[in-house]
Amino acid sequence: MSAPDLTVRIGAMVMKNPVMVASGVFGYGDEFAGLADYGELGALVLKTITREPRPGNPPACRTVETPAGMVNAIGLENVGLEAFVRDKLPLALRWGTNVIASIAGDTPQEFAHCAAALDATDVAALEVNISCPNVKQGGMAFGVDPGASARVVAAVRAATRKPVIAKLTPNVTDITAIAAACEEAGAEALSLVNTFSAMVIDVETRRPVLAADAGGLSGPAIRPAAVLRTYQVARAVRVPVIGMGGIWSAADALEFIIAGASAVAVGAALYADPTAAHRVLAGVRDYLERHGLASLTDLVGAVSGRRGPA
Amino acid sequence: MTHAAGPASAGAAPAPRAPAARRVLAEVVESARLPGEHHRLTLRAGEVAHTAAPGQFLHIWCHPPEEVQQPPSAAILRRPYSISRLRPPDGVEVLLRVRGIGGRLLARKEVGERLDVIGPLGRGFQIPEPPASVAIIAGGIGVAPVPFLVEALVARGLRVILLVGAREDGALPFTVARRPGRRAALPELEALGAEVSFVSEAADGVLVSDLLAARLGELERARAVLYAVGPRAMLKRLVAVTEGCLPLQVSLEERMACGVGACRSCVVPARGGGYRTVCREGPVFWAEEIDWERLDP
Repeated sequence: MSAPDLTVRIGAMVMKNPVMVASGVFGYGDEFAGLADYGELGALVLKTITREPRPGNPPACRTVETPAGMVNAIGLENVGLEAFVRDKLPLALRWGTNVIASIAGDTPQEFAHCAAALDATDVAALEVNISCPNVKQGGMAFGVDPGASARVVAAVRAATRKPVIAKLTPNVTDITAIAAACEEAGAEALSLVNTFSAMVIDVETRRPVLAADAGGLSGPAIRPAAVLRTYQVARAVRVPVIGMGGIWSAADALEFIIAGASAVAVGAALYADPTAAHRVLAGVRDYLERHGLASLTDLVGAVSGRRGPA
Repeated sequence: MTHAAGPASAGAAPAPRAPAARRVLAEVVESARLPGEHHRLTLRAGEVAHTAAPGQFLHIWCHPPEEVQQPPSAAILRRPYSISRLRPPDGVEVLLRVRGIGGRLLARKEVGERLDVIGPLGRGFQIPEPPASVAIIAGGIGVAPVPFLVEALVARGLRVILLVGAREDGALPFTVARRPGRRAALPELEALGAEVSFVSEAADGVLVSDLLAARLGELERARAVLYAVGPRAMLKRLVAVTEGCLPLQVSLEERMACGVGACRSCVVPARGGGYRTVCREGPVFWAEEIDWERLDP
């Protein structure tokens, strides 16, 4: 039997395989140089940028490890659109695979400004970070409301010809309502989940450990919760879903795919194992071969519950 | 991406550009309990050892290497440890506190086990051209990278004054020799060729910054270059004591996630605004690169 077809299409973007690196973890794409060939992956999502540079949250501390996870509150520290396009993007593009820019802003116009500027670059797609929970006046306000989410996605959609991916927060009552609003507004794919809002307290000082008080939980701890949301959203929309949240092994990624994800992204696992995404890719390919599946698409959403009651 | 230039008076060579990180399986060739709650691991680290410079660190996966393929329930992140010393031809030593999950896991490692190590990471100390004299001021477990630095300085023919302080004798990962009527001594560090003075707050009632203050005139006349590693309170006192009159390099610590400058977890406030990553732009900085007012204790 020939090798299984791992190709994933998101709008005009063709990915040679479904394994991506999640935004934030991978910086601007150059920092992990020397540790693996990230050009082998389907796509690399870079750290979120905003129109103007942002200093981020105060340090000490921004990240704290928790059981099977970590809570971070970086606060969208980034070099800003101009320096990103000039200094960072060319380095990331050297990997030779799809590079996806992640954008955020305080207003739909700021998102659109970034989208328009990036339209002239070689990024393969735009991920719209409506869900970063760390900026008090920022993305969270959009991502928790279907109307606000749709306004941002529509503004970006109108500003670019690139595929538009909306990144959803799980910190909502009904994630399918947000997903449907983003699809309706023109998103060609949805990625989920972003981090779960969380807090860690130092009991001796009785103060929050994070300088920003609260942050976002990621890592293996959130995986089952992320799988459920992937399952729910995949049933509610027609556009491809990119699943993420605590993926560490191929089995983890396969859960998301079987739940309905057309692609997956590896995040925090990269800190422990810079080749985690490569391991996931090899394992997914091996699984398809073992199960005699000709194409990844045969497995997407194959969870039996999705086919209705027996 | 070059390190910001230090003061011209430092007479220092530019810091080496951080080489691309390597990931190796390093064999534990020695695992030793040390005074206090400390432990020393000597690792056979091949290329990592060959390319390491004083002040750089290793990012160590605390579980068995093969377990990196499955999510652990604790210590999902690597832990950063300064390279304490080279053990030619291809050994590196790290000193750790047996506290916290990472330190406890690593202290249990036995000879023959292997560790998944990324390194050498970060930018190390800049070494001045002779004939400058140097003084190193170290506090507590901050002394960990000092042996490597002392050896590099001594090998250049520099006179090395080493001032060490600790809350108590047991807070140091080295043997403290106290004999009645004589100053406390640190034989292991003296054996490296440094002129060592040691004070513990508990036994001597003196801080290492007091030692520095007492010798500042002498060091100024010698146009010495200063290095400091230790707790932030100590570093802040040293910055106050020296008042910028001598070039000072400091090594900073902060919680890390990626270790390579991607995640922006380990930042410290930079003079003039913004932040610098300890893992990539540090851990060694010139004192004037840091905004000490905004640096949390």
